[in-house]
Amino acid sequence: MDDLERYVEDKATQYIVVNLGIEHYGIDINYIDNIVRVPAIRRVPNVQDFFKGVINLRGEVIPVMSLRVKFGMPEIDFTNSTRIIIVKVDPQAAIGIIVDEVEQVMDIYASQIEKVSAEKKEESNGYITSVGKTDRGLVSILNLATVIGEKEQI
Amino acid sequence: MDTSQYLGIFLDEAREHIQSLSDQMMILEQEPENQDAISEIFRAAHSLKGMAGTMGYKKLQHLTHVTEDCFSDIRSGSMKVTSELMDVLFQALDSIEGYVNTIQETTDEGDEENENIINEINRIRSAETGKGDAPAPAKEEKKADEAPAEAAPADGASDEKALYRSMKLDDSAKDVMKDAIAGGKHALGFTVYIEESCLLKAARAFLVIKALEDMGDIVATDPSTQDIEDEKFEFNFSLYTICDEEIDKAREAMLAVSEIAEVVGEEFTEAGIDSIGGDAGKAEEKAEAPTEGSREEAEAPVAKEETTAPVVKEETAPAAKAPAAKQAPAAKKPVISKTIRVDIDKLDSLMNLVSELIIAKNTIVSAADSSDTQNQALNEQVEYLESVTTNLHEAVMKVRMVPIESAVQKFPRMVRDLEKKLDKKMQLTITGEETELDRTVVDEIGDPLMHLIRNSADHGLEHPDERAASGKPEMGTIFLNAFQDGNSVVIEVGDDGKGIDVEAVRSKIVERGLASEDTAAQFTDKEVIDYLFDPGFSMAKKVTDISGRGVGLDVVKSNIESLGGDVSVKTKLGEGSTWIIRLPLTLAIIQALMVIIGDEKYAISLDSITTIENIPTTDVKLVQGKEVIQLRGTVIPIVRLSELLGFPPAEEQPEDMIVVIAKKGDSLAGLVVDELIGQQEIVIKSLGKYINTDRIISGATILGDGEVALIIDANALI
Repeated sequence: MDDLERYVEDKATQYIVVNLGIEHYGIDINYIDNIVRVPAIRRVPNVQDFFKGVINLRGEVIPVMSLRVKFGMPEIDFTNSTRIIIVKVDPQAAIGIIVDEVEQVMDIYASQIEKVSAEKKEESNGYITSVGKTDRGLVSILNLATVIGEKEQI
Repeated sequence: MDTSQYLGIFLDEAREHIQSLSDQMMILEQEPENQDAISEIFRAAHSLKGMAGTMGYKKLQHLTHVTEDCFSDIRSGSMKVTSELMDVLFQALDSIEGYVNTIQETTDEGDEENENIINEINRIRSAETGKGDAPAPAKEEKKADEAPAEAAPADGASDEKALYRSMKLDDSAKDVMKDAIAGGKHALGFTVYIEESCLLKAARAFLVIKALEDMGDIVATDPSTQDIEDEKFEFNFSLYTICDEEIDKAREAMLAVSEIAEVVGEEFTEAGIDSIGGDAGKAEEKAEAPTEGSREEAEAPVAKEETTAPVVKEETAPAAKAPAAKQAPAAKKPVISKTIRVDIDKLDSLMNLVSELIIAKNTIVSAADSSDTQNQALNEQVEYLESVTTNLHEAVMKVRMVPIESAVQKFPRMVRDLEKKLDKKMQLTITGEETELDRTVVDEIGDPLMHLIRNSADHGLEHPDERAASGKPEMGTIFLNAFQDGNSVVIEVGDDGKGIDVEAVRSKIVERGLASEDTAAQFTDKEVIDYLFDPGFSMAKKVTDISGRGVGLDVVKSNIESLGGDVSVKTKLGEGSTWIIRLPLTLAIIQALMVIIGDEKYAISLDSITTIENIPTTDVKLVQGKEVIQLRGTVIPIVRLSELLGFPPAEEQPEDMIVVIAKKGDSLAGLVVDELIGQQEIVIKSLGKYINTDRIISGATILGDGEVALIIDANALI
C-alpha cells in the first residue's frame, strides 16, 4: 500500500539497473529496446576503442560499445551474465551497450533522486545525470545521450 | 465542401503545372512565336486557376487568372512577348509557387496579395492592347484566325488536323459509303476538336454525333462509339458519315454544339474513299484508281523514302501515320496513362522486405551448400530461388527509379535568372534528363548539381567582352550531361569558361597556410584541385550572393559521397572545366566480391573491380617509398588491406599474393587480400551514426550464416 501511494504522489520512473563490477547504473527503461546475450561480435577496424564492433540482431546490424572501456574501467572477459542492452535514443539508430550484468528493473522515485554536483558531473564526463538512493544502495543514472552520442576522434 | 482530402493531389498537380509553365515560358522567351508553347502555357494556367478555385484559394486563383489573361492576349496575337513582360510573368510564376509552398506548409494560401505584380501585368497589358481586363476582342480575332482554316479544310495547312484521313476503315464500311454516293448522298469525313477546357467531353461528343445522325448515318468513328461514350479520348475524335445534307450544313450543326473548338472535314468521292487510312497527307490526289491497288500506291512513296530500312507493308501504315500523329496536339500524351502514384514510404518498406528476402535466400544458399547430402532437387530449387529474388530485386529497383528530370528541370530557369543577375550571356544545355536513378538519389542530387551550375555561372564563365577578347562566342555554355555507365550513372556538369587556374589555387593554398611553398610546389595538379573540395576553401576574390562563401564544393562532395558516389573534375585553363559525378544505380543491394583478410570476411563492391590477379611477391617494387606492381605495362600502387585493417603483418610472405585491381575513374589500385570466397549479392546495412569508421569501411552486410561482414569502399583507397 505504501508503495502504491508513493507511486501516485511521488513520480516514479522505471530503470533497468545494470552492474559494472560493484557499481550500479540505471538506464531509463523508455530508451531500452531489448536486452540480449552476447552474440558473435564482428570487429570493426580503426574505430573508437570502446566500440567492440557490430552484431547481427535479427537482420539489423547494430554497433555495440563496452561501457567499461567508455568509463575507463579495466576490461574483463564476457561471462554467462554479460548482456548487451539495445537502446534507441534516436528511433532510427539503435546501439548496444555491453554491461557485466543486468540486476533488476527498479522504480526510482523523484524524491530518491539527487542531482549530482557540477564537479561530479565534470568528473564523470557528463555521463551521470543524477544518483538514486535506493534500498539496494546508490544507483548512478546514466545520461544516455552523452554516453552514446559523443563522437570521439580516433 | 471539404477539400482537405484533395490537398495532396492539388499540391502534386499544381507543382506539375507550375513546372510546365516554367518550362514553356522559357521556350516562349526564346521563340516568341511558338504556338505550341503558348497553348501549353494557357492550358496549364487554366487548369491551375480552376484547381485553385475549386480548393477555395482565391488569391492564387486571382493571380493565375491575371496571368492567364495575359497569355490569352499573347495567344491571340494582340500582345507581343517582350523581355519586360516575361520578367513580370516569371515573377508572377514565383509568387504562384510561393502560394503553393505556403499552402503546403500551412494548408492556407497566406495573406500576400501580390498586388504590385498584378498591377504591373495589367499595366503592360493596357499599354500593349489598350484594354485592362476584358479580353473580348481577342476572342473575335481568334475566331477570325480560325475561319480561313475551316473554310478550306482540304488545304495543306490543315492536313495535319485532318486525322480522319488516317483512320482505318474496313472494306464493308467503304462499300457502304460508295453505295451512298451512288445513291446521291454525301460521304463526309470529319475530325472534331473539343475545347481543351471542356469537362464533359463525352457529352459534347454525343451531341455532335446526335446532330449528324439527324442528317444521316454514322459509318465509323475513331475511337469507337463505346470509347467516346466512356470518354476514352483526348480532345478530338474522327468519324465518317453518310449525310443527306451538304458538308457545310453538317459542319454548322456540329459547331452549334457548345465547347466544340474546331471541325475539320471534307467530302469524299468514290475514288477518295479507297485512299482512306492510307497516306494521310495527299490522299485525294493519289487515289485515282478505285481498285485495291490504289492503297498500295498511296503507301508507296512513304516506303520509297525509307530506302535505308527494308520496310514491310504492315509497317508502312503506322510509319505514315506517325508524322501526322505527332503534329496533332491531342496525340502528345498517351490516350490513357496507366500510372498510379505511390507513397515513397511504401516503396521503401517493399525494398526492405526484398532485402530481408535476399538475406534469407543467402542463408538457404549457404545451408544448401554446406549440407552433406548433395540433393539435386534442392540445389535446383535454390538456384531458381536465387534467380527469382534477383529479378524481384531488379523489378523493385526499377519501380523506385525515376528520371533525373525532376532534379534538373528547375535549372534552365535558374540559369536565366543568373544570366540577368551576373550580367553574362549564358545558355544551359541538358542532355540525358531521362536517365534514371533511385528516387532517393534523385531527391538528394538536386542541391549538389545546383551548386555546380552556379559555380560554373559565377566562376567559370567570363563576361561577354572577356570572352570576345579570347576569341570565344559571347554566349557562354553550361552543360549538364547524364548517362548510364555500367552499374553507375554519370552526371557531368561543366562550362566553356576560363577553367581552373591551378597555379592560382596553388598560391592560395600557400597563402592560407595549408601547405608550405615547397610542399605546394610538389603537388600534382590533381592534388591542388582536390583542395577546392576542402571546407572553407574559396577561390572567389569577392563573395557574391551566388557563390564564393567557401561553402559549396565541400558540401557537394560530402552530399555525393553520402549517396555512395564520388565527384572529380577535369579542367583546362582557358577552355573550361567539367565536374564529373558518378553515382551508383541503387543504394541498397549490390553484387560484391567476398574476400578473406586476416581471419575476417570482407565484401568489395564488384562495380569497382576490374580484374583479380595472382602476382608473385617478388614483383612488388618500391617507387618513392610506395609499393607498386607492374601489370601489362601499367604501374599500379598496391594497398595491403590486412595492415590497413589492423592485422599484424604475416610472418612469412607467401610466394604469390592475390591482388584485386580496383578502378576509380582513370586511377587504379591493387588491393591485396588473403583469400577469395566468391561473388555474392549483398544487402548494404549502415553501421549507424555513432560509430566513427575511417572511410575504408562503408557499411556492413549480413551473410547467409548470420555472420556480419564489413564492406570495403575501394574508392576510398584509390
